[in-house]
Amino acid sequence: MRATNRPLRESEDPMNRSLLTMLTGAVVVSCLASTPVRAGVEIRVFPPSWYIATARPVYYEGHASYWYGDRWHYRDRDRRAWRTYREEPRYLREYRRNREPERHYYEREHERR
Amino acid sequence: MGVHLRMTALLLVAGFGLRVAAAQAQAPSPKAGGGAPTSSATPADDQAASELKEHHRHHHHGGVTKFIAMSLDTLGVDDAKRPQLEKLQSDLHAQMAPAREAEKDVLRVLAEGVAAGTVDKAKVDAAIAKLTTAADAVHAASLETLNKLHAILSPAERAALVDKVEAHWEVWRQVNHEEAPGGRERGGRLAKLTEEVSLTPDQVTKISAALKTALAGHPVKLDSQKGEAHVHAFAAAFAGDSFDAKSVTSSANGDLASRGATRMALFYETVTPLLTPEQRTKLAEELQEHASYQPAPSGK
Repeated sequence: MRATNRPLRESEDPMNRSLLTMLTGAVVVSCLASTPVRAGVEIRVFPPSWYIATARPVYYEGHASYWYGDRWHYRDRDRRAWRTYREEPRYLREYRRNREPERHYYEREHERR
Repeated sequence: MGVHLRMTALLLVAGFGLRVAAAQAQAPSPKAGGGAPTSSATPADDQAASELKEHHRHHHHGGVTKFIAMSLDTLGVDDAKRPQLEKLQSDLHAQMAPAREAEKDVLRVLAEGVAAGTVDKAKVDAAIAKLTTAADAVHAASLETLNKLHAILSPAERAALVDKVEAHWEVWRQVNHEEAPGGRERGGRLAKLTEEVSLTPDQVTKISAALKTALAGHPVKLDSQKGEAHVHAFAAAFAGDSFDAKSVTSSANGDLASRGATRMALFYETVTPLLTPEQRTKLAEELQEHASYQPAPSGK
């Protein structure tokens, strides 16, 4: 029942009001639903080409692993995708503790001669 | 439609837009990229990336075979295998030597032209033609060495080598083909020149415009599909348990050397008239430095 005697505006007919309520609800649900997604997803940065070309890998579990962005990454067996170790394997952790990451600097080749 | 309804619809669209943007920002990258160093990069990464790009901008002589030789610099094989690998890398460099000498001539002609204030285009074109012929012969010369290389590497090392060859190809293609001529992005060719010879803002503007015009109107364009085909053919064959380098029939070595050197020459021909004598002297020295490049086997 209407609370006033003011005539209905075009947007205030019962049909539009229902639609408006539904749309508002959809926005609220959409925003709420996105929160757990954001909290659960980890941003992973895989080693770029210039890194693969200049960094020395460590061989572990039958593949070359690269330490990049504070994680170890490797290509899966069919070489289709990069994978990341969620937990740092002990062997790789020990390796990293004992040795500096090795890089190749191409312009320094000129200076080495 | 009423005002409230329109506002709510707008909110809904904005809400979905924000969600899509957030989802894209969170999605893991599907593959390794070849662009500028990311926020994960350390100063050492920046330096290594910058030096690699500068190298690929000036050295094209062996095409894909050079990418293979460079990949041995960081393959990471164990100490027992290292002497054999160094020998094979040294052999590859020897097989590329005629092309490397031809490339030196290109760089020396460019250095002389830059120092003098005008690059002799006819001399440069003749030197590039010799480089192309020499680079064309590299693949056939290196077949036996590539077979030996396959034989001494483990499956994991072969896969790593293929990753590295593809990575070098991606960086080479980026700096010699995809990078916008005259682009002012960080890590780009113009940014590097600005750093090398201290260009003024006015010079940067003029050189950027001149490079866009020069490269847009140049008839020689890189057909990256040839390089792609060579790299993929090598990658597919080399990753397998048996390998015969003769099976890689699509050599792009001459094409890559020719296109890379042509783009490099066009860059120096275009920028030279817009530099001061002091800047030209400095740039000519840099080119002479590249001309004297002699790779040392590292086989790591």
